[in-house]
Amino acid sequence: MVGSPILFVAVPLLAAFLIPLFGFIWKELVRIVPGIVLLYLLILSVSLYIQVLQDGTIVEQIGGWAPPWGINLVFSPFTGLLTTLMLFLAFIIWLYSYRFKNVDFEPSKKYFILLLMLVTGSIGIVLTGDIFNQFVFIEIMSISGYALTAFYTGRDSAEASFKYLIMGSLSSMFLLLAIILIYSQLGTLNMADIASKAHLMKPEFRVLALVFFIVGMGIEAEIFPLNGWAPDAYSQAPGPIGAAFSGIVVKAGIYSIIRVTFTLFDVEGTMQFLVLMGMITLVVAEMAAIKQDKIKRMLAYSSIGQMGLVLVAFGIGTEEGVFAALFLMVNHALVKPLLFLSASYLVFNSTEKSIRELNGLGKYLPLTSFLFALGAIAIVGMPPLSGFWAKWSMLTAAANSNMILIIGLVLLVSVVEIVYYFRVVNRIYFFKKEEDVEPKKPTINAMVSMIVLGILIVTIGFYPDLITSYLHEASESLLDKGKYIQDVLSAGQSIIQ
Amino acid sequence: MNSIVLIFGVFLGGAILTYLAHKLSNILSSAFFVLTIFTATVLFYLKVETGDVFSFSLNGLHLEWGITSFSWIFSLIVLGLGTMAAVYSISFMKGKERLGYYYFNFILGIFSMMGILLSRDLVSFFIFWEIMTWSSYMIVVYEGRSVQKIGIKYILFSAMGAYAMLMAIVIIYSQMQSVMIEDLIYSFSSFSISYQIWLPILLLTGFGVKAAMMPLHVWAPGAYSHAPMAYTSVFSGALSKMGVYGMVLVFSTLISQLPEHTIIREVVAWLGGITAVMGTLWAITQDDAKKLLAYSSVAQLGYIITGVAIGTELAMLSAIFLSVLHALFKGTLFMVVGAIEKQTGTTNLTEVTGLIRKMPWTFIAALMSIIALAGIPPLGGFVGKWMLYESLIGSDHYILVILIFFASTAGFLYCYKFLFGFFLGQEEKEWDHVKEAPASMVVPMLILSFFSFLLGTFPGLILKPIDQGMQSLGYVPTEGHFWGMSVLFNEWGNAVVLQPILYAIMAVFLFFLVFLTLKGLKGTRYVTTKDISSSGEVPGEFENLSYKQNFFQPFLRAVEPVMKRQIDKYYTGIGNGIEAFFNYVRRVYSGNGQTYAIYVIIFLVILLLFKNNLFG
Repeated sequence: MVGSPILFVAVPLLAAFLIPLFGFIWKELVRIVPGIVLLYLLILSVSLYIQVLQDGTIVEQIGGWAPPWGINLVFSPFTGLLTTLMLFLAFIIWLYSYRFKNVDFEPSKKYFILLLMLVTGSIGIVLTGDIFNQFVFIEIMSISGYALTAFYTGRDSAEASFKYLIMGSLSSMFLLLAIILIYSQLGTLNMADIASKAHLMKPEFRVLALVFFIVGMGIEAEIFPLNGWAPDAYSQAPGPIGAAFSGIVVKAGIYSIIRVTFTLFDVEGTMQFLVLMGMITLVVAEMAAIKQDKIKRMLAYSSIGQMGLVLVAFGIGTEEGVFAALFLMVNHALVKPLLFLSASYLVFNSTEKSIRELNGLGKYLPLTSFLFALGAIAIVGMPPLSGFWAKWSMLTAAANSNMILIIGLVLLVSVVEIVYYFRVVNRIYFFKKEEDVEPKKPTINAMVSMIVLGILIVTIGFYPDLITSYLHEASESLLDKGKYIQDVLSAGQSIIQ
Repeated sequence: MNSIVLIFGVFLGGAILTYLAHKLSNILSSAFFVLTIFTATVLFYLKVETGDVFSFSLNGLHLEWGITSFSWIFSLIVLGLGTMAAVYSISFMKGKERLGYYYFNFILGIFSMMGILLSRDLVSFFIFWEIMTWSSYMIVVYEGRSVQKIGIKYILFSAMGAYAMLMAIVIIYSQMQSVMIEDLIYSFSSFSISYQIWLPILLLTGFGVKAAMMPLHVWAPGAYSHAPMAYTSVFSGALSKMGVYGMVLVFSTLISQLPEHTIIREVVAWLGGITAVMGTLWAITQDDAKKLLAYSSVAQLGYIITGVAIGTELAMLSAIFLSVLHALFKGTLFMVVGAIEKQTGTTNLTEVTGLIRKMPWTFIAALMSIIALAGIPPLGGFVGKWMLYESLIGSDHYILVILIFFASTAGFLYCYKFLFGFFLGQEEKEWDHVKEAPASMVVPMLILSFFSFLLGTFPGLILKPIDQGMQSLGYVPTEGHFWGMSVLFNEWGNAVVLQPILYAIMAVFLFFLVFLTLKGLKGTRYVTTKDISSSGEVPGEFENLSYKQNFFQPFLRAVEPVMKRQIDKYYTGIGNGIEAFFNYVRRVYSGNGQTYAIYVIIFLVILLLFKNNLFG
């Protein structure tokens, strides 16, 4: 045993609270420590993941209390994959934001504390096997999210943060309602336990709980009518935090909604509902994206659209569909951060962050512009980059389930996506630079982090088999509900005996 | 190592090396550029034989690369024109910015076209198709003029075509769990009837965009005329042929299996015919040579599409033959325009005049290609068009043949306009400084026009490989050879010897011409083009007697009603409408926190109201 899943939650949380103390020793430590922590966790996560693939799911019981009574963390091929992905992105984002905007000691202290909390919350959501515990982690994630949105203390950021706060509190209210309903019916909060007993619930309560869950988690997962907060939050938060939102936070939201619909409740019609909501989200978001004049808002809408696509893929419900959804998630988690990270250097010195200000920067920031263009080509799914394979698996999964209409719609929407991304890329390369724009060269560490993402995108594009076997493992693990229940509950039994 | 992989490696490695070398020096980069394309070409013709196969598995798919005798014909177009255009590019692009970028995308363009021809499965086909699309897009926007309009239009139409194709591929994959083209041909008849109809239509949409078929052609004139001419010759000559390549495959292997295939054939053939007529009419109205040739390309591809769609042996033969010839003469003509642009700085037919004495070699290349284009014997275009007419009449398409014949005849008008505008007419002082283009530009043009001469004289040279290629597609020759079906060749037996007789007559004629000229040499007085008198009045140097403004006005007035309805305008209207609608939808995100909170409540209420309908 290299380590235990509890470390993924305990270490960053501890580090977050210790950062101010480190600051007293040497101010630079405030920036360095989070990186060390994240790197350690990444290595731990990778080694645990390899172990899990061989030996099966690890179930950690906190405080020795066996499930279904105690809180447990489940590191399965599915959750392990997401954890590893999130930690990798968190590390990339740390690398990028090391000295982003050269902020002083005080802001950077807050920034890194909040970033670590955000990561802790997201990973906790994915790993936990207890529904109330998940609620707590959602709160941790959201609260640090609100604070990070308002990080640049201005009127607009405050407004965006406030909107996020309103929506976030609505979300937690509905989640609590759902949890109360379940607890009153089943008397348990353990996910595996709920899953095994869900048929005992009265059908109307079950559906009611599901509806509350969908509304509550839909806000975090950016489903269409619930995602009003997202464009504002993405565009007002600092650039790397936009990347964290699209790469880490949304993934956690999607995870929670998937866990509820796939594992907790086996309600007929949920899959069709996911497809429907995903499709609406996708279409509306892409429609909204085409007319944006702020670069980060455009990226935010595109991110929402991609999440819609992921939901559609999950909603197909077959192993292929889940595989495609995971592939789309991995692709999006690599590409969208790259877009956010490169875009925030392209509009570094601007206050408006409008697309107009990207004009002609190709000459001044060649590598950053190139990486942005690469990301744009990857996200619209053009071969030979990773996006193509993700889209391909999504489309074949849909075709194998005879969803021809879905294929047509997804492809039509992709055309819209191509138009607005290429318009921006054209501006970067073929327009005259605006006179008042001062390009800022990225720092070396930022460059490295973006290049790593770029290389990954190209590598997966040329050789998708690099990750597909892991994705297959993960999708099987998600779909095998019986094994999940058995893994968690038998872990409890073995302790009792 | 497998030779196909090696060739792809040469292309990719060469592209990257060329790009990097550009940072060091332009000359090095140019050298790498030409070297890459030549090496790959030589390797291809020496090492790769039909039947060589490289198969591998990627992402759970079985993919395969290899060449058939049918795709071998198209490789002649791609690599032949590609190498010539590459040589031409060096001088043409001299002194321009971002050479590395241009060379990189040029190589990728050739690479992806070869990839398309070598793909034996639909996924690699699609991947190469997309690489072709974006690499050509990069070059269309290379000069940075009206990228948001022309460039986006190109990428938009290409994307729609490509996604139609992708949809078909995905459905095919779901039907037979394989993406091999062979398997598709084999199991196509077992698909349900609606798929049997829709799949070819989807595929044809994809190919029709690249082949610039009405009504999907609107991107073509802009894209052709905005790319640098050195690339446009490949773009129009070879890249658009990839659409034809795909269409031939669909028609000869899939649609022929359909019981009621005549309707699709008729529709596409008519679309091709209309494309030919409209393209020709539009070409006649153009004053810019680039636009003129662009529309002319659209028109020429119309003939080819008609031939492919009719799909009888002779029609297919003529279509493929015309494809090869079109690559030769249209490639040359775009190079000619490029040379004139390089030397004079403009391509406006009403401005440039009398270049015949200044750029004689360019003129010869242009003349040969124009003769081939117009379909006048003895050059190749004649043979192709003759076979096309014959096949149309043979398959009872009398109205269509009138349409094509009209387009072809009207085509003389723009051919004449092109030739007269640039080379003939009075010499103006303004162009006295113009010199012949550098040798590295002239030689490729001459080589290409020599080949269109050669193929016109000995069409058998190319008809034999086409013959083999068509047999690999499943056509069975009735008389030993497909061309045996044409009157043109039958009259003289199987040996194709019509043209040499014509040449012999011309040689006699020329001989007497020279003889007479030499005899009367003493009395000859050399005149300039201004040395004329009209109605007893001697015009001065400054007077412009050229009648190039409003060329063919009566004709244009006659066809005006047809040309008023521009499909492009409808597209723009639809596009603007859609964007306005999107802008309206965007307002859902009002930016108001309260509204968003209300959305949540409404969503919840809807879910609760319909929970019984949604969740069982």
